[in-house]
Amino acid sequence: MSLVPGLEHWFILSTLFFAIGLYGVLSRRSAVGVLIGVELMLNSTALNFVIFNRYLATPFLDGAVMMIFVIAVAAAEAVLAMAIFVQIFRSRHSVDISTMTEMRY
Amino acid sequence: MTTADWTVTLIFYLLGGIALIASIVAVASKRILRAAVGLAVTLACTAGFYVLLGYDFLAGVQLLVYVGGIVVLIVYAIMLTSSMEYFETRSPTQRRIIGAIVAAIFLVVTVAAFRASEFTVTAMTVPPSDIAAGVGRLLLDQSGAGYLLPFEVISLLLLASVLGGVVIARSPKAAAADASPDIHAPHGTQVEETS
Repeated sequence: MSLVPGLEHWFILSTLFFAIGLYGVLSRRSAVGVLIGVELMLNSTALNFVIFNRYLATPFLDGAVMMIFVIAVAAAEAVLAMAIFVQIFRSRHSVDISTMTEMRY
Repeated sequence: MTTADWTVTLIFYLLGGIALIASIVAVASKRILRAAVGLAVTLACTAGFYVLLGYDFLAGVQLLVYVGGIVVLIVYAIMLTSSMEYFETRSPTQRRIIGAIVAAIFLVVTVAAFRASEFTVTAMTVPPSDIAAGVGRLLLDQSGAGYLLPFEVISLLLLASVLGGVVIARSPKAAAADASPDIHAPHGTQVEETS
């Protein structure tokens, strides 16, 4: 197999995913929407690890191991986020982040 | 370019287009459940990218853990917070514009930094054929090159997050029932006496 779409193509693709996820995190009002944005960003990070492993260190697998670590962290984060959303919803009947201002100042 | 090269390039752009459209749906859709479906499609396309790069094992991990686990968890979060029928009220235009500007600046700066740095692309070799075995050996390698310690730390992190999730998501009633002195001696003897 050859390396036809060059490193730059892959890199720009994964950076686009990251930028789209960043936009989601900054612009969403629903907390679940923010979580979806964060998952997009984590996914692009994992993809980046694998891309650089493939193009810069093909005989090694360190990038693949890091990708599995990223996925494990993403899973842990999704579990905790879901638990927190359920609890917030129980007390406030909404997960709109623009109304969560108790911890300001 | 050979025919195989053309095929790989074609699949790359096809999958890339689908994944980009799906990720835009995931961040911009007003229906939150549709956004979750967009996320699932993006993650599935990413599994396709892993196959394209030659790491089939990682594609399997991606589908199993990400699409099968995390997306299902997010759908559960949507259902439990009943934001399913909840059309997200649009954020203020100002906030969306600021978000778009920050994302665009991030994209430009990162690509510029990438362009400015030198990378030595290795020779066009295929990746190791037994990726699962190689990853397993690396994870359990105790020498300096291995990842035994991070592996153990990650397992602790997962355990802690599962316990934390259970404790946080428990209903206040159940927590109060657990905290009340059911097995407390005076209370228990009283119950026995009355019965």
